[in-house]
Amino acid sequence: MKSLVLVFAPINFVDALLLKFFSPETINNVVWPFIQIGLVVTLVAGWVAYATYLERKISAFMQARLGPMRVGPWGLLQPIADAIKLLTKEDFIPDKADRGIFFIAPYIAVASAFIVMAVIPFAPDWGVIADVNIGLLFVLAVSSVGVLALILAGWSSNSKYALLGGLRSSAQMVSYEVAMGLSLVGALMFSRTLSLSGMVNAQAMDSVWYVFYQPVGFLIFLVSGIAENNRAPFDLPEAESELVAGFHTEYSGMRWSLFFMAEYAAMVVVSAVAVTVYLGGWYFPFVYKFTQANGHHNLYVIVSLLVFIIKVLVVLYLYFWLRWTLPRFRYDQLMDIGWKWLIPSALINIVLSALGIFLVQAVNGWRGFKTIDSMSAGLNLTATGKALMIATGLIGLVITGMLLSRINWRSRDFNLKSQRRNIKLVNLPKGKPAVPVVAPAGGSEI
Amino acid sequence: MILQGWEAVFFWVFSIAAIFAGLLTVMARNAVHSALFLISSLLSVAALFVLLGAEFIAGVQILVYVGGVMVLFLFVIMLVNVGAEEQGRSEILNKPRQVAVSLGFCLLLVGGLLFAINTGYRGLQKRDEAKLSGSAEQRLLQDQTLARGATGTSRITTDTQKVGNSLYRFASLPFEIASILLLVAIIGSVMLARTLKQEAAVDDVDPEVLLAKVAEEADLAEN
Repeated sequence: MKSLVLVFAPINFVDALLLKFFSPETINNVVWPFIQIGLVVTLVAGWVAYATYLERKISAFMQARLGPMRVGPWGLLQPIADAIKLLTKEDFIPDKADRGIFFIAPYIAVASAFIVMAVIPFAPDWGVIADVNIGLLFVLAVSSVGVLALILAGWSSNSKYALLGGLRSSAQMVSYEVAMGLSLVGALMFSRTLSLSGMVNAQAMDSVWYVFYQPVGFLIFLVSGIAENNRAPFDLPEAESELVAGFHTEYSGMRWSLFFMAEYAAMVVVSAVAVTVYLGGWYFPFVYKFTQANGHHNLYVIVSLLVFIIKVLVVLYLYFWLRWTLPRFRYDQLMDIGWKWLIPSALINIVLSALGIFLVQAVNGWRGFKTIDSMSAGLNLTATGKALMIATGLIGLVITGMLLSRINWRSRDFNLKSQRRNIKLVNLPKGKPAVPVVAPAGGSEI
Repeated sequence: MILQGWEAVFFWVFSIAAIFAGLLTVMARNAVHSALFLISSLLSVAALFVLLGAEFIAGVQILVYVGGVMVLFLFVIMLVNVGAEEQGRSEILNKPRQVAVSLGFCLLLVGGLLFAINTGYRGLQKRDEAKLSGSAEQRLLQDQTLARGATGTSRITTDTQKVGNSLYRFASLPFEIASILLLVAIIGSVMLARTLKQEAAVDDVDPEVLLAKVAEEADLAEN
């Protein structure tokens, strides 16, 4: 520890300072968590401010424009100008709005987005705020509370646009939550724990990211995560062209910016969970070898933190990229993707992952093959086992795609009426048909 | 759960919050406000589960009740809530028969609570200190066998694993039966919600035949 540069030793310095005032127990259970929470909240709030800038810049570059350039160099001070504008704006409350609910709805949105960050492991050791045995369940539970904010905001505004936006968002988020929860089950089978730190440790121990074992699960999680955040192309709750601004039509000034903050914070949460579960979290090859192994503990934590932040930023870039690339889905297309594609493929993924793990266990010890290393921290496989598992994952991707495209084949254009004429639900003589039967466009029927 | 220190403070805060939110749920005029108070009550109960060391149940409570059931409740209230506001203006205690019945139930509840508290108090009087400290020590030992959390200050408990193990090892059949029951409920509710008219529309019945049938059904219902 003597060889450490001062820059990498602030943690021990702070610890020594704190020990003068508090007992070690208080520091561990109260003071340190508060410092960590303060840091995370500050960083995410800063991110929210600069995400607006990034979003405008990225969209500008995609459309061969310059974007904000006037305030500061390259428009870098634009977010601050925006924040001052929002703070000084009138806080307008519509007539006959339910004032109490109108006030608390933005806070519910922000709280549910920020509370989730308590369990996310940003780095090893002091980069974790709380490590609980229900980590992933906690993430799903608390982020599901975020739907309430949207519904309540839509209802309390006493406006038709807001109400329609709220109803749409609740239908969308409830249906995509199912796919999101189911897609994570496959990764859980490999980590054998719900604790998010435990999942990162399992991936570090295996030196493999679960995205290789679980390509289907990762894709489902990404799509449903974007839909959960109400981001384009799934931004139907706030579709400008039909609903003005959806559930936050009547909000202005600071309350509106709270919704904005919640949206960007929820994006960070979803990307952080995707990174933790599928992309190895703070783990990166060789980091441990060059830092911790040489005794530089704090350097190890800081480099891991940087790795985590970079991974999250890469996933966040995907959000911007998709937003400015894909057009918005129609409502029926949205429901189709959720119920006909994502949920069935998540279910197929669970079955195939279980079969894959069964296969690896069955092959272990057969004709001298060795696939399983240990089961202490997650399922640790040898090189043969990893290759087998990655192959199973890829085959699973193909099987899922083929199975679902067969099931959903022409599910949109098949002639329900002509099929239903053969099934009688009501015991009535048919008589002449109420609507003349039209031959299906494609010719033959299924 | 041994009530001491901050644990006791949190227990009292959340239990009182749960009771008051529950009371406000039945006393609120507006159905949406009622739903919100019910959500607060459910959240307080989830916090109590955490204090009991049942984190898994707490997580499921929030995920299922707050994130799922209550969202659907609010959805329905918003769609059906037309004109409920006017009804809410009248007095709460305006129907003598209902007041009498609820008072009767209140008395029963108070009697039951008094009996339970009395028994509990008697139990507290003759508690065995040696046994208590023994069980506390045992719990401490059990805690030490658990894996350490990443923060170093907490342990990772295994109750999720225990729930899963016992659910699938000893109760897999009831578990599956429950899921079938839910499926039946979904299909049944869809069938109940569809009217004869909707069914016939899909069946492509001649409108004249249908009108005659509907009139016939109405006659049957009246007789």
